[in-house]
Amino acid sequence: MKYLHYIYRNARRNPVRSVLTIASTAVTLFLMMILVSFFNINSEVAEGFEKYNRLIIMNSEGFAGMVPISRVREIAAKPGIVAVTPFSWYGGKYGEEEMPFAQFGVDPTTIFSIYDELTVPPDQLKAFINDKAGCVIGRKLAEDRGWKIGDPLPLKGQIYSFDLNLTIRAIYDGPPDRDLRMCMFNWEYLDEGLKKGVSSAESGNAGIIVLKAADGDRLVSLSREIDDEYRNTDKPTRTQTEEAFTKMFGEMMRDLQWLITAIGMAVVFSLVVVAGNAMAMALRERTTEVAILKAIGFNRSLILNLVLAEAVLVAGLGGLIGSFGCKFLCDVVDISKYSAGTLPFFYVSWRTATLGLLVSLLIGLLSGSIPAMAAARRSVIQGLRKVV
Amino acid sequence: MDEAGFSIQLKNVNKEYRRDEFRVPVLSNLDLQVAEGEFLALMGPSGSGKTTLLNLIAGLDRATEGEVIVHDEELGSLSESRITRWRADNVGFIFQLYNLIPVLTAFENVELPLLLTKLSKRRRRENVKTALRVVGLEGREDHYPRQLSGGQEQRVAIARAIVTDPYLLVADEPTGDLDRASAEEILDLLQQLNREFQKTIVMVTHDPLAAQRASRVLHLDKGKLVSDLTQSAQIGATS
Repeated sequence: MKYLHYIYRNARRNPVRSVLTIASTAVTLFLMMILVSFFNINSEVAEGFEKYNRLIIMNSEGFAGMVPISRVREIAAKPGIVAVTPFSWYGGKYGEEEMPFAQFGVDPTTIFSIYDELTVPPDQLKAFINDKAGCVIGRKLAEDRGWKIGDPLPLKGQIYSFDLNLTIRAIYDGPPDRDLRMCMFNWEYLDEGLKKGVSSAESGNAGIIVLKAADGDRLVSLSREIDDEYRNTDKPTRTQTEEAFTKMFGEMMRDLQWLITAIGMAVVFSLVVVAGNAMAMALRERTTEVAILKAIGFNRSLILNLVLAEAVLVAGLGGLIGSFGCKFLCDVVDISKYSAGTLPFFYVSWRTATLGLLVSLLIGLLSGSIPAMAAARRSVIQGLRKVV
Repeated sequence: MDEAGFSIQLKNVNKEYRRDEFRVPVLSNLDLQVAEGEFLALMGPSGSGKTTLLNLIAGLDRATEGEVIVHDEELGSLSESRITRWRADNVGFIFQLYNLIPVLTAFENVELPLLLTKLSKRRRRENVKTALRVVGLEGREDHYPRQLSGGQEQRVAIARAIVTDPYLLVADEPTGDLDRASAEEILDLLQQLNREFQKTIVMVTHDPLAAQRASRVLHLDKGKLVSDLTQSAQIGATS
C-alpha cells in the first residue's frame, strides 16, 4: 500500500503514452465485450429458461420437417401439462422489408400461460383471442415502429403462400432478457388461409410445439414419453427442454465462435506486445532511476513488483473503462434496436464485464513481465553508468 | 569495527571489467583503511578507478580479488539480497546529478528509503521532516524536483541519503553540476554531517576546492593509490 502513490505517479509520468495504452486496451476490451456477449447471451438466456418447465417438440428431421397440429391436443391431454401451443415461424415481409422481425403463429388462449414471464393487459389479451386476424407485438417493436393498438400490420408470405392482414390487438412486455420484438398471431388464421389456397398440403402443421409442464421433474420423462409415442409415425419427434433447444442455436454458430475467439486472442496478443513495448520504453527512460532505487535498497523482487503493478494499473484502467463502460453503455442504449432484427435484445452481463477486467489485468501482467524482469535483473552499476 | 580500528578496510583488492574478450584492469592490489568518522576525498584523472573504488566500498560492485570489509562486514561474502539490505541499512548515496525521482515531491523522495523499513507512517514523516530540516529545506516538502534549484535538489538528495541514519555516506562528484556558491553550501553541509553527526564520508571529486574540505585526500592513477594526504590544517583554514 505504501508504494501506491509511487506506482500511480509513474503511471502518470508520460500522460500521452499512458492515455494511448489505456485507450487501446479500452477499445479492444470494448469490442471483445460485444463479441463475447453476442455468444454468451444465448447460453446465459438458455440457462435462465430452466425454471420455466418448458419443452420444445420438433420434427426429428429438424426445422425442415413439421409437426402435425393434432399433436397439440394429444399432448395437452397428458397429465402434468399446464398448456400447449403451436409455434410456427412465418417469416413474412413487411412492406419491402424482408425478415423485419420474428413472426409466429400461436394459440392465443395458451401462449401467455406458457410464456408466463411475458405480461399482457387482460383486455388486450381478450381482444387478441377474439380477433382471429389479430396479433400481439412486443413493447420494443411497438416503440421502435411507433405502432399502437388497432394499427394494421400486413405481412406478405415468403415461406407460405398466404399473406396475413393482421391488426395489432395487444402489446406484451417482459423481462429485459426476453425478445420483446416478436409478433404473434393466431395460428388458425394462417392455417385457414393455407387450406383455402393452392398449397393446402402445408396446412395442419406447426413448426414446433411448445408445452409448459407443472413440474420440472417431469420434463425428462415427459420428453421421452412424447418421442416414444411418435417414434413409429411418419413424423417422429425430437423433444427437448427449452434450454437445450436454445443452446442448439449457439451450437450452430460454434465454428464462427471459434473463429471470433481466435481473432480475439490474436488481438489480445498484439495488445500485449504494444503495451509491453510502451512499458519497455517507459523503463528505458528510467534506467538510472531504477538503479538509484536498487542502490538505496530496493531489492529485485520489489522492483519487479513495482513495474508489474504499474503495467497492471494502466492495462486494468483500460480494461475497467472498456469492459464496464461497454456494459453500462449497453444498459443505457438498446443496441439491439440497430441490429435489423438479428438481436432481439443485447446486454453485457456482470460476469462478462468482470471477465473482461480480468483479461485486462492479465494483459498488464504479461506486457509488464519482460520489462519488469529486465529492470529487476539489470545491475546497479549498469544502470548508474549513465551518471557516474 | 575490526581489530585494527578501521571501519573500512580494503585488502589487496583487484578489480577488472570484461569488455568482450578483453579484461580491463581498473584497480590493482589496492590496500586502504578508513577510520570511523573520516571524511575521505578520492581524486584522480578520469579512468583512474576512483568511482570503481567508491562502488566497491558502497557495496554496489564486487571486487574481482581481495577483501572489502565495511563496518565488520566482508561485502564479497554477502548474497545479492543481503548486500541490498546491507546498503539500505548502512549507506547513503549522493550523486552528481542528484537523481531524484521527478514525479515525487521532495518529501516523497526523502521518504523512499524509509519505505523499506517497518516504521509507521507517522515515524516516517517525523524522520523525513528532521532530515529536511538538517539540510535546510523546511517548507519545501511539497516541491517537485523541477521546482527546486540544483543546490536545493542536491540538498534533497542528501536528506534522502541521511534519512535512515546510515553509517556511511558515499558521494560521487556531489558538486560537479553546481555553481560555486551552491557547491560551497553542499560542502558545508557534508562537513557538518561529518563533524556533528560523525558520518563517515567517502567522496569522489575532481574539484581541488571540494577535496580541501575532506580530512584526507587520496589520489589514484591507473588503479593505484599514488598519494595519501591527511589535511587537518587545510580544513581548519577553510572552515
